[in-house]
Amino acid sequence: MSWEKELIEKANEIIDLYPEKRSALAPLLYLAQERDGYISDESIVEISNLVGITEVQVKSVASFYSMYKEEQTGKYLLSVCKSISCEINDSRSVIDSVKEFTGLENYETDVDKVFTFEEVECIGACGGAPAVQINYETVEGLTPQKSIELCEWLKEEKPEVVVAEELQNMFGGVKSFDWAINDNTGSSYSVPGFQNIGTAKEKRI
Amino acid sequence: MTDKITINVNGSEISTEPDQLIIEACEDSGIHIPRFCWHKRMDPVGMCRMCLVEIDTPRGKALVPSCTTKVSEDLIVDTESEVVKKAQEGVLEFLLINHPLDCPVCDKAGECPLQDQTMAYGPGESRFVEDKRHFEKPIPISEIILLDRERCILCARCTRFSDEISGDPLIEFIQRGNKTQVNTFPDEPFRSYFSGNTVQICPVGALTSTSYRFKARPWDLKKVSSTCNCCSVGCSVELNVSQNKMLRILGEDNDFTNQGWLSDKGRYNFEYLHSDKRITLPLLIDSSTQEVSINESMDLISNEIFSHKKSSVSFIVGPNSTNEEYFALNNFVNDLKEKNDNSENINIYFSDDYLYKGFFENQEKLGEIKDLDLADTIILWSQDIKDNLPTLYLRIKQAVKNGKKLLIFGHTNTAIKELTEHYFGEEIINKNFEFNVEISEIPDLEEFILDKNVVAILGKSSPIQDVEPITELFQYLNEKSNLKVLNAFSKGNTFGALQNIDCVKGLNEFVNEFDESKRNLVFTIGANPVNNSVLSKKIKDRLIMSDFVVALDMFLNETTELANIILPTTSYGEKEGTVTNLEMRILKQNKILPVPGSALSDWEYWSMLLNKIDNEKLFESEIELNSLMCDEYIDKEILPSFENLNKPQNLDGILNFKPINIEIENINLINLEMLFVHRLYGDSSSQINSPSISMLGSERFIEMNYATYFGSYMLNNDVVTLTQDDVSIQVNVYINDSLPDNLIIIPINRRGFQNLDPQKKVELEVANSREQLSVS
Ligand code: SF4
Ligand code: FES
Ligand code: FES
Repeated sequence: MSWEKELIEKANEIIDLYPEKRSALAPLLYLAQERDGYISDESIVEISNLVGITEVQVKSVASFYSMYKEEQTGKYLLSVCKSISCEINDSRSVIDSVKEFTGLENYETDVDKVFTFEEVECIGACGGAPAVQINYETVEGLTPQKSIELCEWLKEEKPEVVVAEELQNMFGGVKSFDWAINDNTGSSYSVPGFQNIGTAKEKRI
Repeated sequence: MTDKITINVNGSEISTEPDQLIIEACEDSGIHIPRFCWHKRMDPVGMCRMCLVEIDTPRGKALVPSCTTKVSEDLIVDTESEVVKKAQEGVLEFLLINHPLDCPVCDKAGECPLQDQTMAYGPGESRFVEDKRHFEKPIPISEIILLDRERCILCARCTRFSDEISGDPLIEFIQRGNKTQVNTFPDEPFRSYFSGNTVQICPVGALTSTSYRFKARPWDLKKVSSTCNCCSVGCSVELNVSQNKMLRILGEDNDFTNQGWLSDKGRYNFEYLHSDKRITLPLLIDSSTQEVSINESMDLISNEIFSHKKSSVSFIVGPNSTNEEYFALNNFVNDLKEKNDNSENINIYFSDDYLYKGFFENQEKLGEIKDLDLADTIILWSQDIKDNLPTLYLRIKQAVKNGKKLLIFGHTNTAIKELTEHYFGEEIINKNFEFNVEISEIPDLEEFILDKNVVAILGKSSPIQDVEPITELFQYLNEKSNLKVLNAFSKGNTFGALQNIDCVKGLNEFVNEFDESKRNLVFTIGANPVNNSVLSKKIKDRLIMSDFVVALDMFLNETTELANIILPTTSYGEKEGTVTNLEMRILKQNKILPVPGSALSDWEYWSMLLNKIDNEKLFESEIELNSLMCDEYIDKEILPSFENLNKPQNLDGILNFKPINIEIENINLINLEMLFVHRLYGDSSSQINSPSISMLGSERFIEMNYATYFGSYMLNNDVVTLTQDDVSIQVNVYINDSLPDNLIIIPINRRGFQNLDPQKKVELEVANSREQLSVS
């Protein structure tokens, strides 16, 4: 399905931020991912037309970065960090409990398409290890117990948009540091060019 | 010229240009550094690390990739140290970790850089016992190219070529790490006019051509250098033959012309040579078709020519003969005129709708292809360059990449519009190819040309057009700039014909001069004007009205089937001779294949007929013709004789001139409804008899802008029926918004379009069903 008018408008706003159209590729892929939960071939065609490069060039970038998903993910993508800081703070048990709760192995999605589970490398929240991301919204200082509660909550409440700050308040523990920006929701907010995409908070309104 | 600098390689001093890469500087001094990814015609990437060398740095010796490091004064380089050797072994060991080592079944084995360099620089044994990476064995990435991802060493030569050189990046690396692979996007095959080059430059057997797969081993191939005939750039090629069959054509690096690259047509258009449809004996066609001997056919023909002295004799020549053959024809024609005492009615017509007077008067103004690299501005106004002079397009693209400004005048080269500084479309040029404004008032033109070095590639854009505007543009540029011109006649050896035939006329002249009331004899020589000319219908009528038609050809086709007698001829590879390219560079074609059946080369027929006029006269050989032909070239210092051309220093060809005389009337009043264009692939006899590429020219389509599509024709479907008088064709419609309103592009070298009248409107209706669009 081709992109909706509003999405194309948003894409064009992002493209306008750059002297070269193709520079907008990464944020546009982010839009695509948000739309479908993964980078669909239709989105690739759309982006290729928008920025004037070939489909395979878009695919090349999309498939290089592991945070752009090539396959449909569940409504909630649970990315549990397994890198060093988290590992020493017992991320293993967080991983195990999430796995047990969801019944999923690495990179699997359940039949109802609610959860996708993955173990990931450092997500930049070492100070608050162990950390997870739900749809790339970061929660720090998790325990195995809290991680199960988090999953249960997601399963029951089915929020359309998850917001880091709120998840943190409900399920998180020690936080690494204050990000010193007003709205620190949205893993990509601080990156210029991604700002037009809007933060999770903004999206919910 | 910059001052040379000195570097020290392996203990000896070498002198080099200051901005060269270490690998290039060493190469030029005969020191070979192994490499996979570096290619001298592409930007370096440093992907493979095979080219590591040790250099002295302020912090001691360091390993650096010689393909990304430039030389500097007094640089000390070691290409053979223990450390370098260890690095090379290491790199190869890594490369081989995932390489399947299926050399026994790999086409590349025997000429494979990975195999050769593993032998020369590799560790000799492997320590890798784990499982290798696996991919599905070859997957087709286009109709003519297969990709075996297991063999790929990720050098990025193919992907860089398609991006940097040919400009159609339809292959790219996808995935990452161990999964990295070259691939296409689903449903977007690697459909490039230049895809075959990636097969040639792939340093392993990952990319293969369908036409060559499993056909031969490199050590069984017989090879000879020659010159491609597909367009008038005259690309240098190497013909590869095994067991008397042409199996492959490779590009050779000629700095003046193709720089190693070929279009896929030039590369793959050869299977016809061995087609069983090829005519190998003279055929006499009256009520039935019967084979006759050469002698009988010669008697028949000479009887026809000499018994009626007042007959008109027309020669319609195609672009695939050698200079020597055109020269022989010209000699025969001159003698015939004398013998029949009838010079008026004996004429030579060249079978190309785009031929016109061109710009030849002032030899000083004639440019060379390499002038593109020196120009400030390149002006292009001709037929679609990518389709008709594909390797010249590559040179233009390269020049643009190096900062030259390209200005294109409408409406044919729309596909390369994004390369331009300025594209002058409908506001400047109307759909009949006339200027809407004074040239001097064209916005921004003057700024790009005034007192600058300008190369103008000029030719007709449409078979039917007034050429006056082109002349005006030429004169304007000539006044204002330092101008060099390249005449964009695109067909094979057109320039050889122009150089060696005293007076060349066009197809329109043939049609107009044809006088029914006379006795008419027509020779067609490797030409098929009944199929791909705007005048096809008229020419066909005239051939039917003629009293006797002789066709020199390799195949039965729309033209030759109208002949009374067909004489089997030869192709490139089967004869020795020279051809002239669009910059008047004369290049050698060499013979490597035996001639099939009793086919003869054109010149042998002319020689026999000449002998019938005067039994003193006979051309003995190609070499004799060559030396006779050479006498007429202007620059006596370096004549394009076989002897000279075979010298190593002249393998890139010899520039030389002869006066050119084209007698073609201008067409004045026109109103174009359709712009006839030639696509790279079409339905020429040679292409449809080359199975690997025969289907590439089968799609039938038209192009128009959206206003015409939606406004004038009220279409809403991309499959339509096109009708005009008794012609009705189902076609795909493509929208091309660079076209002027109400001008429809028709690819005339595709099946079925040749009977349309470009000056009459067509009807377009949405086709009833998609099924009807069958291409057979
Ligand atoms: S397919 Fe060949 S040319 Fe392309 S990256 Fe692989 S090894 Fe290099
Ligand atoms: S190691 Fe887990 S966030 Fe850095
Ligand atoms: S040739 Fe230098 S890194 Fe490949």
